[in-house]
Amino acid sequence: MEVMPQYDLSRLPENTALKQQKLPAHQLDLSASVVLCIFFATGVFCLCMGVVLLLSAKSTKELEINYTNICANCAQLREDSSNFDKECTCSVPFYLLEKMEGNVYMYYKLYGFHQNLYRYVLSRSNSQLLGKDIWDVKDCSPFQMSHNNTPIIPCGAIANSIFNDTITLSYNLNSSIHIKVPMLKSGLAWLTDKYVKFQNPRTSDLASVFAGSAKPLHWTKPIYELDTDDPGNNGFVNEDFIVWMRTAAFPTFKKLYRRLKRVDYFAEGLPAGNYNFHISYNFPVTMFHGEKSVVLSTLTWIGGGGIFLGLTYTVTGALTLLASFAILTIHLMLKRTKKSFL
Amino acid sequence: MSLNEREDEDKHTEDKERILMANDRKFNALFDYPDNSIKTSKYSLFNFLPMNLFEQFQRLANAYFLVLLFLQLIPQISSLAWYTTVIPLIVVLSITGVKDAIDDVKRHQSDKQVNNRSVLVLVDGRVEEDKWMNVQVGDIIKLENDHPVTADVLLLSSSEPYGLAYIETADLDGETNLKVKQAISVTSDMEDNLELLSAFNGEIRCEPPNNKLDKFSGILNYLGVNYFLDHDRLLLRGCIIRNTDWCYGLVIYTGPDTKLMQNGGKSTFKRTHIDHLMNVLVVWIFLVLGAMCLLLSIGHGIWESNKGYFFQEFLPWQHYIASSTTSSALVFWSYFIVLNTMVPISLYVSVEIIRLGNSYYINWDRQMFYAPKNTPAQARTTTLNEELGQVKYVFSDKTGTLTENVMIFNKCSINGKTYGYSYDANGQCVPVSLNNKVDFSYNHLADPKFSFYDNTLVEAVKSEDHFVCLFFRCLSLCHTVMSEEKVEGKLVYQAQSPDEGALVTATRNFGFVFCSRTSETITVIEMGETRVYQLLAILDFSNERKRMSVVVRTPEDRVMLFCKGADTILYELLHPSCASLSEVTMDHLDLLGATAIEDKLQIGVPETIVTLSKAKIKVWVLTGDKQETAVNIAYSCRIFKDEMDEVFMVEGTDQETVLQELRTARKKMKPESLLESDPINICLARKPKMPFRVIDEAPNGDYGLVINGYSLAYALEGNMELELLRTACMCKGVICCRMTPLQKTQVVDLVKRYKKVVTLAIGDGANDIGMIKAAHIGVGISGHEGMQAMLNSDFSFCQFRYLQRLLLVHGRWSYNRMCKFLSYFFYKNFAFTLVHFWYAFYNGFSAQTVYDTWFITCYNLVYTSLPVLGLSLFEKDVNETCSLCYPELYEPGQHNLYFNKKEFLKCLVHGIYSSCVLFFVPMGTIFNSERSDGKDISDYQSFSLLVQSTLIWVMTMQIALRTNTWTMISHAFTWGSLGLYFCILLFLCSDGLCLMFPSTFYFLGVTRNNLKQPQMWLCLILSTVLCVIPVIGYNFLKPLLWPINVDKVLERIHFCLKHPLPLPVQAKIKHPGLRRSAYAFSHKQGFGDLITSGKTMKSSAFKTSKRPL
Repeated sequence: MEVMPQYDLSRLPENTALKQQKLPAHQLDLSASVVLCIFFATGVFCLCMGVVLLLSAKSTKELEINYTNICANCAQLREDSSNFDKECTCSVPFYLLEKMEGNVYMYYKLYGFHQNLYRYVLSRSNSQLLGKDIWDVKDCSPFQMSHNNTPIIPCGAIANSIFNDTITLSYNLNSSIHIKVPMLKSGLAWLTDKYVKFQNPRTSDLASVFAGSAKPLHWTKPIYELDTDDPGNNGFVNEDFIVWMRTAAFPTFKKLYRRLKRVDYFAEGLPAGNYNFHISYNFPVTMFHGEKSVVLSTLTWIGGGGIFLGLTYTVTGALTLLASFAILTIHLMLKRTKKSFL
Repeated sequence: MSLNEREDEDKHTEDKERILMANDRKFNALFDYPDNSIKTSKYSLFNFLPMNLFEQFQRLANAYFLVLLFLQLIPQISSLAWYTTVIPLIVVLSITGVKDAIDDVKRHQSDKQVNNRSVLVLVDGRVEEDKWMNVQVGDIIKLENDHPVTADVLLLSSSEPYGLAYIETADLDGETNLKVKQAISVTSDMEDNLELLSAFNGEIRCEPPNNKLDKFSGILNYLGVNYFLDHDRLLLRGCIIRNTDWCYGLVIYTGPDTKLMQNGGKSTFKRTHIDHLMNVLVVWIFLVLGAMCLLLSIGHGIWESNKGYFFQEFLPWQHYIASSTTSSALVFWSYFIVLNTMVPISLYVSVEIIRLGNSYYINWDRQMFYAPKNTPAQARTTTLNEELGQVKYVFSDKTGTLTENVMIFNKCSINGKTYGYSYDANGQCVPVSLNNKVDFSYNHLADPKFSFYDNTLVEAVKSEDHFVCLFFRCLSLCHTVMSEEKVEGKLVYQAQSPDEGALVTATRNFGFVFCSRTSETITVIEMGETRVYQLLAILDFSNERKRMSVVVRTPEDRVMLFCKGADTILYELLHPSCASLSEVTMDHLDLLGATAIEDKLQIGVPETIVTLSKAKIKVWVLTGDKQETAVNIAYSCRIFKDEMDEVFMVEGTDQETVLQELRTARKKMKPESLLESDPINICLARKPKMPFRVIDEAPNGDYGLVINGYSLAYALEGNMELELLRTACMCKGVICCRMTPLQKTQVVDLVKRYKKVVTLAIGDGANDIGMIKAAHIGVGISGHEGMQAMLNSDFSFCQFRYLQRLLLVHGRWSYNRMCKFLSYFFYKNFAFTLVHFWYAFYNGFSAQTVYDTWFITCYNLVYTSLPVLGLSLFEKDVNETCSLCYPELYEPGQHNLYFNKKEFLKCLVHGIYSSCVLFFVPMGTIFNSERSDGKDISDYQSFSLLVQSTLIWVMTMQIALRTNTWTMISHAFTWGSLGLYFCILLFLCSDGLCLMFPSTFYFLGVTRNNLKQPQMWLCLILSTVLCVIPVIGYNFLKPLLWPINVDKVLERIHFCLKHPLPLPVQAKIKHPGLRRSAYAFSHKQGFGDLITSGKTMKSSAFKTSKRPL
């Protein structure tokens, strides 16, 4: 705007790019060619990704044995909670068709166990598990105190419901020689959990520190006796305990139980052959219509053998490619009419 | 005792009248009149918090979140930590609170400044200086020239003759011209005699405080005699004393009782269509929310009885849960809390911020700055911006809005000879140019700004042509202009109307200088000779009579009547030798001459109107002016075009004729609209009670309509108004002339009521206030007719042509931005919240949230607020040049195409789709899955982190897709927020924080563990692709497959931008310089009354006045 110099311009707005809405900018213009490029590129990328993921998933081996019904008598025993002190063991034989190469992981898998219920998830005491204030049980409702009003350590519904079956695997070299498959009970939990989030009180004698506390209702032994052999795996930093305390997002989940120690016969993994799971059956599932199984699995860079990602990527890629052809057709068909305004 | 009785009695009658006694503080103190301190501030330091919070919680949205907060505090149903609501609520409240506080601090400061001004008060016979706030009812104060009036005071006496005092009321009503107030004679006799003044003990009974600026009635009882008081005796607070050395006044109303403060009430609050829509949508959301909660609580009941009951070994029911029904009733409220983010808390605050920002753009626009008056455009209301992009009807005043309202004396005809054309040496008529400007140097009193181009008139004056002299004598005498000699030899005229000022100024230049007036004399310097005329009578101008007359006695002792007025009126009064015979008055007048005053069209008016009509905005001119003038203007500013099929005139003077004329017009435009099968007729036949929407009807050509005030009075009656509306709305242009202010309001209201479209009224005068207030948007032109229109408007600027920029650029952008903002805002909250809904099916409907509580707290407030604000403050789909060159782009706003209920449902569906992707893709990814080292990945915290990261990523991509214009700020906001999210995430999961507050922050290490995992990133990419690709496809295909008009224009713009062709240049529209003759309706009553009222007290004034007149 041309302004005559003789006018009083004291109220003339400032001429800045912001105030005049003239900030330098570039326009996002999704023209036909750009859109088509995006579609084709995305389609090809997704398709390739999908194929790679599917192939990776296929390279893993997994074996799952559901022992809910196999150990039916134990299950029945456990439905009555007054039998908690009665031992019940169960042996599950199976035949491994192909050998499992590389690192083999043993999981327990629960069906229909809701670790994600609102009240369940909250029922824990993080400050207690940190070893800072072990008597802090205020968040642990409904498992704060035992019957005789002593604080429970570790308190809360999550700790109380810990998976307490013991599973051992033996390899039947032949009908007479049964070799116990060596398993590692370390390296199961996240490092941050093991070393930061869960800490024992700084003491050499855990039992004395925890004196005056009660063990959780369902537990057969107190927290300081979880692993008496290895003080680094005892108390709050017991890895089975830590793994359980990381609550699952969905009612069906599997948790890492043991890792294969690759020595002797098992240096290259699990050879094919006859195996036996020896299960000390403690964890009740049938009363809430749940199931449990044990899983042996090898892993790849993308984890286990889940095909969800691979399949979805493939489908997405294929659909995107189809869509891009459709768009191309529409674009070409309408191109003539579009030019009419010129 | 008697005093007490008196008090009781007065308390009783307080509602009826106010009693006060001059110079008697003791007596006046009985009535508890407030002191003169004013308090416009709302809060004090102590009550700010409770009062402000109370006010804020009266807003529905805030109250909702307060209720929500209380729900969250009930442990049985609490499903979210209290801080998820408290923190956003506090932020929202404090943003508003800080804004209120800043406003109030400003008010405090101005109050303090005003209250501490000093004023001269008469105390014990002496004039003492005191602060304004200490002035009390009944005090006598002295006011000096150029000082503001302290309170509402009764004028007692002044330095001017007859107790006159001049005031300027700009602060009160915006009018800058002087007004005259006059004291009653009994008090004005006291002059500045302090003894008399302090002995004055008059008792005043007057009406209680009210807000009527032009009404006052009271009685002064002084020495046993009652004197009637009216508003001409009252100086109102807020006025400024002018041209009066001093005056004394008796304080009647103080502080909050003054008329200025009584008028301080907030005017009606306008709400936009989008506001209404938003409220409807929030109700819809509530319904959806309720339905979802119900569904989920039923699900919970079923789950609890089928599974939860048997799961009690691990998680026993709470002791107060008797059955699954109780539990499901409680979970209803738990889900109500979890899903509360469906109703976005920051919606209203964000909308306010966006509107404020877009208002500032209007204030800052240099292209709407009018240099000659040093006035920028101003958005006086900051809540209506997006409605500027939806205007369908513009109602415009004519004088001062389309025209400049600068009256220029252009031509005159004296004794049959026309002056005013410019001639060259050969006697040929030539166009006006500076070269042949008349030289007025012979007259040292001439106004240098005046120019005239016909030397023959000057010669005629110099040769003392009888008729020419008489003509100018008439003009120099017959007016109510006030003169003021500020600097020696420099006269300043105060005229009530620009026409009059123009005439007197012209006369002055030709050598008939009006110098001064008293109530019975007029002093004129005629060609250097001072002559004093005795003024015998003034009949002031009025809108009914449309003329004014003076009777004067010349120095030669001749009595003469001069009359000037509208041509139509005067023709009837003329002597038979001058015009056709008429027997109206006793005496016939002789015609001296006629004047032609030009009021030019403002620059750019025709171009603006053409642009507006291309944008399908209908411009109606509502004017008080006469028909011929209005029609001429309509042609010259292109509302009517020569190529129009027909311009209908409605001039009927009775109901039948008007109806007939309207029907005939409609029959011509659309014959089938009179048939019974016409949809509107069918609708009318059903006699709906509610005002329904009259749909647009397409005529078979271009038509115009002219209707005048008399006919309009009938047309606006009951059943005729729809006839008028239907006929008028079919026309391209409508001119309503000879309208009263009320009719203007009625017309605007009619269209607003039945068309349900956005209306805009634009005007500059006090007669436009009604329509400015009635229309959805009122625009005031700050011009020559005071500032009243501006003060009542929502937007104001100086020139009509800025309207196209206001609507097509600012309005359009504001509308587009607001729509983009709303659709994105609703979408992002749906996508965010509905994830909880899907998760419910996997967690036993236990009201477990998907996200971490801190994420819920920050989502609307921190993570997504800046990008969306950036979008709604900086987004431009096309630049301003294109907006102005292609007015068609304006159309979607008029039909509200960019955000309506359908668009909202699209947002909902899109939100549902996105939430599905956002839930099921991460679920599929981690379900039964593990890391490459066998460790956990399917835990709740990892899932939560994955979903929220994906959500943020998807939302960022969505907003990136919606952003057309990428400025540095957009980049910073969009990508910065994404970065900020990851930073905050790392912080929330950091060891230090989690170890310090283990029970509040428990996501320790989740970020570090998960962001290293390839699954996480693959999931993120997949979700983004699934959410974004369909949107890209839809956006691309929509204009191809289902094009709306605007898409073609946009396509053309994009094409032109890529292949730079010269943009279509707006053709300059040639318009003939049209002149209007005769008096405009806007001509106001002059000072006649006051001038003559001075005369009535001539005798008493003379007796006591010591100064010669």
